[in-house]
Amino acid sequence: MKDILTIVIRLTVSCLLAATVMGVCLIFTSNAKKHNEHVKEQKVMYSLLGYSGGATIPDSLAMHEVYRYVLTGPSKQSIAYLVPQGHGEEKGFLFVNINLDGELIEAKPVSLTEAQSLDPESRNKAMLGAADTGYDVQFADKTFVVTDNGQRIAYLLGGKFQGFKTFINVMVAVEPNFSLIGFEVLEHEEDPGLGAEIEQEYFKNQFKGKPFAALKEIDVVKAPIPEEYLKALNGKISEKDVLKVREQYKDGDIYALTGATISTRAVANGVKGIVRKFAYRVEVLDKVLTEQQLAVSF
Amino acid sequence: MANDKSSMQLISRGILSENPIFKLALSMCPAVGISTTVMNGVLLGIAVLFVQVFSSVTISIFKNMIHPRIRIPTYTLTIATWVTVIDLVLAAYMPEAYAKMGIFVKLIVAFAIITMRLEMFACKESVSDSFWDGLGMGLGFMVGMVVIGFFRELLGSGMILGHDVLGFKPLLFFILPSAGFFVVGLMMAFFNWIEIYYKRSKGLK
Repeated sequence: MKDILTIVIRLTVSCLLAATVMGVCLIFTSNAKKHNEHVKEQKVMYSLLGYSGGATIPDSLAMHEVYRYVLTGPSKQSIAYLVPQGHGEEKGFLFVNINLDGELIEAKPVSLTEAQSLDPESRNKAMLGAADTGYDVQFADKTFVVTDNGQRIAYLLGGKFQGFKTFINVMVAVEPNFSLIGFEVLEHEEDPGLGAEIEQEYFKNQFKGKPFAALKEIDVVKAPIPEEYLKALNGKISEKDVLKVREQYKDGDIYALTGATISTRAVANGVKGIVRKFAYRVEVLDKVLTEQQLAVSF
Repeated sequence: MANDKSSMQLISRGILSENPIFKLALSMCPAVGISTTVMNGVLLGIAVLFVQVFSSVTISIFKNMIHPRIRIPTYTLTIATWVTVIDLVLAAYMPEAYAKMGIFVKLIVAFAIITMRLEMFACKESVSDSFWDGLGMGLGFMVGMVVIGFFRELLGSGMILGHDVLGFKPLLFFILPSAGFFVVGLMMAFFNWIEIYYKRSKGLK
């Protein structure tokens, strides 16, 4: 009996000690970690738009983040967007609630600064305050509308889908006509050497420049990549030739990674799903915004 | 006991005569699963090296306070704490390294080699000896992973450190986890053969 007690006490004490060490470490590092993730996201976003490796970003370029939430009430669901009203601290966000038939339920401004909107917790709280009582808010995804001098030049879509092992977290860049600019893998846990090859440039480049029509029907073929295409994907030929080869293959399917067909298929279907759903959603949102003449920043 | 051993001996023992992978045959899961490229081997090796050294030293410091009946849970707890701390610190202050190593660091909690070194060595020996032993074992593990990674990367994808050296892919089989067993098995046999040969030549002298 005495033995059991000492064991229990000692184990508890060691667990508490370990928890303290980990907790203190978390407190000291969490801010830096969040900052790093934000910086990484920014970097990925700009590199997708073609401003990689310290290229100067023109001042006319602006990003407008749109957050999508699912509101679940006692009897019905609706989709709510958090849309920026303009850049700058005082402008705030607009809460746009749209029902499943694509009709506006209500639109009202929310007091939320841009800095606050970056923090999921304060953003969720603001959404909860804006929604009617009895509604539960659930964050769905965020989208960046990229404008150049007020003209939309691209959308950046965040998304997650099931890979071979766990979720694959990606960011997809599409043009206003929804043809693919490219995508970047933010997070994944695929097998090194097999599924992890989805990070490689030659794989990601296969998606570059796919028109929306082709992307809607995209599939995976289990065949080796033709040599000239592989060269183009690796960027081993001149830029002009790359464009020519890409043009030739742009309506084609995605060549599966050797030994990782499931990962390839997951990425192809995931990207396809993200873009298709977004194309529908942004149309609904745009319709509502123009019909109701709501002023937003993009 | 090991008190008469110098730090160099402790390190070389970890790399050669008691190499975790080829001699002790511990932590074979990562050796088989991850070692598809040289770079993976180096990164996992570095991660293991740090966790092993920190855990060995910690256990060695607290060795008199650990109740013998709960030593294994305590070891696991120590390793888990260090893995978490290293994971957090890397994520916060070295985002570049974390992007490459993060996935490996999280794997380490369940590594047999670390628990085994704590049980066999750190809980009996002095702090400095435990440090050198941890360093040796970590380096030995890294060397093993790099050697396996070298063969698998070369034979599986025709590359070394991501550079195309062969220009073609000889056998995709070597990338697959099952091939890891073959490579590890052959390497083990090779290491043992060298040792026997070395001992015989010495005996003959």
